[in-house]
Amino acid sequence: MPEPLKPELLTSGPLLSVRDLEIVFRIDGQDVPVVRDLSFDIEAGETLGIVGESGCGKSITALSLLGLVPNPPGRVSKGQILLNGEDLTRAGEARLNAVRGNDISMVFQEPMTSLNPVYTIGEQIAETVRVHFGLSRAAAWDRAVEMLSQVGIPSPKTRAHDYPHQLSGGMRQRVMIAIALVCEPKILIADEPTTALDVTVQAQIFDLFQDLQERFGAAIILITHDIGVVAQMTDRVMVMYAGRKIEEGSVASFIRDPRHPYTRGLISCIPHLSLPPSDVPAPLFEIPGVVPSARELGASGCAFAPRCSHASGRCAAETPTLFPVGDGRSAACWLEVEAAR
Amino acid sequence: MSEVTIGQPAAAPQPVSPSRQAWRMFRQNHAAVVGLLVLLAILLISAIGPLVYTVPPGEMVWMPLTPPGRSAYLLGTDYLGRDLLAGLINGGRVTIAIGFSAALITLFIGVAVGALAGFFGGWVDTVLMRITEFFQVLPNLLFAMVVVMLFSPTLLNISIAIGVVSWTSAARLTRAEFMRLREMDFVRAERSIGAGNARLIWKVILPNAGPPLIVVAALSTGTAILFEAGLSFLGLSDPNAMSWGRMIGDNRPYILDSSWGVTFPGIAIFLTVLAISLIGDGLNDAFNPKLRQR
Amino acid sequence: MLKLTLRKAANAVALLLAVLVLNFTMIHLAPGDPVETLVGEMGGATPALIEDLRRSMGLDQPLYIQIGLYVGNVLRGDFGHSYYYDQPVLTLIGARIGPTLLLVTTALFAATMIGTVLGVFSAQRRSSWLSHLVTVLSLAGFSAPVFWVGIMLILVLSVAFPIFPISGMSDAVGTDGGLLYALDVAHHLALPALTLALIYLAFYSRLARASMLEVLGSDYVRTARAKGLPRRLVVYKHALRNAILPVVTFAGLQFGQVISGAVLVETVFAWPGLGTLAFDSILRRDTPTLLGILFFSALMVVVMNVLTDLLYRRIDPRIKIR
Repeated sequence: MPEPLKPELLTSGPLLSVRDLEIVFRIDGQDVPVVRDLSFDIEAGETLGIVGESGCGKSITALSLLGLVPNPPGRVSKGQILLNGEDLTRAGEARLNAVRGNDISMVFQEPMTSLNPVYTIGEQIAETVRVHFGLSRAAAWDRAVEMLSQVGIPSPKTRAHDYPHQLSGGMRQRVMIAIALVCEPKILIADEPTTALDVTVQAQIFDLFQDLQERFGAAIILITHDIGVVAQMTDRVMVMYAGRKIEEGSVASFIRDPRHPYTRGLISCIPHLSLPPSDVPAPLFEIPGVVPSARELGASGCAFAPRCSHASGRCAAETPTLFPVGDGRSAACWLEVEAAR
Repeated sequence: MSEVTIGQPAAAPQPVSPSRQAWRMFRQNHAAVVGLLVLLAILLISAIGPLVYTVPPGEMVWMPLTPPGRSAYLLGTDYLGRDLLAGLINGGRVTIAIGFSAALITLFIGVAVGALAGFFGGWVDTVLMRITEFFQVLPNLLFAMVVVMLFSPTLLNISIAIGVVSWTSAARLTRAEFMRLREMDFVRAERSIGAGNARLIWKVILPNAGPPLIVVAALSTGTAILFEAGLSFLGLSDPNAMSWGRMIGDNRPYILDSSWGVTFPGIAIFLTVLAISLIGDGLNDAFNPKLRQR
Repeated sequence: MLKLTLRKAANAVALLLAVLVLNFTMIHLAPGDPVETLVGEMGGATPALIEDLRRSMGLDQPLYIQIGLYVGNVLRGDFGHSYYYDQPVLTLIGARIGPTLLLVTTALFAATMIGTVLGVFSAQRRSSWLSHLVTVLSLAGFSAPVFWVGIMLILVLSVAFPIFPISGMSDAVGTDGGLLYALDVAHHLALPALTLALIYLAFYSRLARASMLEVLGSDYVRTARAKGLPRRLVVYKHALRNAILPVVTFAGLQFGQVISGAVLVETVFAWPGLGTLAFDSILRRDTPTLLGILFFSALMVVVMNVLTDLLYRRIDPRIKIR
């Protein structure tokens, strides 16, 4: 390296950088890791997709970024979560509260139960700005109404006085988004934000995300198991399996040329994405087996090996590390290592 | 689902019958086991105590208001010179007999109402639930007082009165269980092979609603004992039988001269009901392992 | 909304009518002549009065006319005559209902408030001493006879350490309604209210803890935390308001049982309310008075249910037709 890095170069590094993260759950007196050796970065303004089946550790990773891993039984046992260089795993509760909803905010999967039934939606948005910006009640309320209109809720002035039960699921999710964005956070985490909604409403919500990202410039971490959504929404994709990252790369290369056998399986599950258009409808593909639970995993070996048609002896014995496969991509599979030889 | 097996968990547990499993869970709950032992001890004392300790409970045997430890009568005497220990040993019989028989009546009415309401639904349910609501709102002790006063305080009448005012929670629980179970596949299967309503209610659904009902039975016994104590404290007890509540009621005017006269019978009631509620809690945990994590 | 209110009102009236029918049924089912049942321990009953009673009950007419007469009398405010006290039942009850209401509402208020506080604190620290206290308290509260707890409290706090008076409602001779009188009543009220509250404190602290634990695990509490709200706001604004809903529901449902408990507590402390009146009525076999007390207790329960229902709707905007 020709010159030592200047301090301003350090701060202009990734907005959020997760290093060697390990999250464990204490079950029957034993620490069972549910996320291991996880590292990833996110740059300002970009959209990162995190993909994987249920139980692969996506949601708990998202919660860890906000310091919200349910404790007990869970905790972050190793690694760093660096927001602009500040390690959030070492931050106290007061500091975390200043970050939550302000620098990093989150939209959850269940709009029906994620809003408090006994307060108006206007209040639930307004209190967030009151806490973070110290606005007066009136100013915060105006801001809440303004946000409701931003997220496309008709007649926001009257709607602000509504209670959650008076709104549909899609509308409630819009309110959740308004809450998440009201402080103009740097990072917005969306954990399966449309799973509970109708297909048409899903499309509207994703349009809203894209629209708002342009206006607010927040980086988005989109957690999903829907490859179609990934293709439409994200810049970069990270695939998780059984608590580990197994592949990462740009969305285009990820879909065109998946490297890890698991990713290939995921992509083939989407009928119209994997194959060139043809007259014969492609048969639906399914990855055999299920994701092993964290307790069933051994200390070493590829977690996907039992379901993998290419598995060899090495896969069962040694855990593959992430291996660069060119184009800024990486995959954790021994096949890639062998092929590179 | 798939031919690929993924890391078998070490040593799959042998399947055991649900009741044995519940008993295993119950044994692990120390408080419940202590409760069970205490209750067994109280039952034993009440059963054979009067045969061993033959002092008559209702007769004057010594100076009135003798404190404990000052005479041959270990726990002292009351305002009429009656032996408190004899009272406790004999009084337990009435208290426990009424406790259990009232709990039986409670359960009988509650299960009957709840089963009919939950099984048939519709207007049967509406009518029965209205009645249940009515009894739930009625001040239960006052109502029992009226019944016992008008129909003379015999053991049977007292048990019936307690049962009549306390069946509502058993009914609600039974109804909920029946509504849940009647839609289950095994019930539909029985119905499809022509099982009649009576068979479905008694032989098919009721046994499956057993565990929560056992817990309710335990708790009802505890409440019934407290109820009996309350009624006999107010003077509504069989004049020919000693009972713990009546001992407290009789001795209450003399607490300034003899605190022991009210203290010991109270402790007896407290221990009995405490033992029963510990058992009830233990059963509840044993039947609902999931709740234990709370 | 109006429809709902009307339905609730109709419900309440139906309930009270049912109590009257029940009373009527019991008088006629009781062994012996209904008139004898009502007269009880004669007291001020003269042959002329008994004849009068026989006529007003319409005993020579069919049952449905009798029941109509009975309900009609009650609607006119005639709950019968206490032959022991030689007074109308309504007068007797009117003089006693105030103290009972004072005792019952004080105890219930204290039990729900302190119970909620205990439950909320113990829910947040599940293995703290406070949490264990709630467990022990709720077991003890369920298992101890309320009248015995009252007597034990007297033995400790009135006899061994004479802090509170043993019985009654006031020492003052003249009831001038001044501040001193109020303080005196409060002094007398402390022990009976504490006794009654302790039993229900056990129940409400357990209920509030269970409810709070459930709410703290809910999605909207997670949302509140993810918004960066300080713990104080998460717990006392977002969680608490939802967690007290079952407490409010049970305060209404249980009011009948609290009144029952008050009967025993009043007897122990000679508190001049409906409970001691009921106790005396049993001794005198004064049936009309006891039936009147049952009716007015049911009336209090109905009123209490309406009040808790209103409160519930103020706390929870989702209108529930329960």
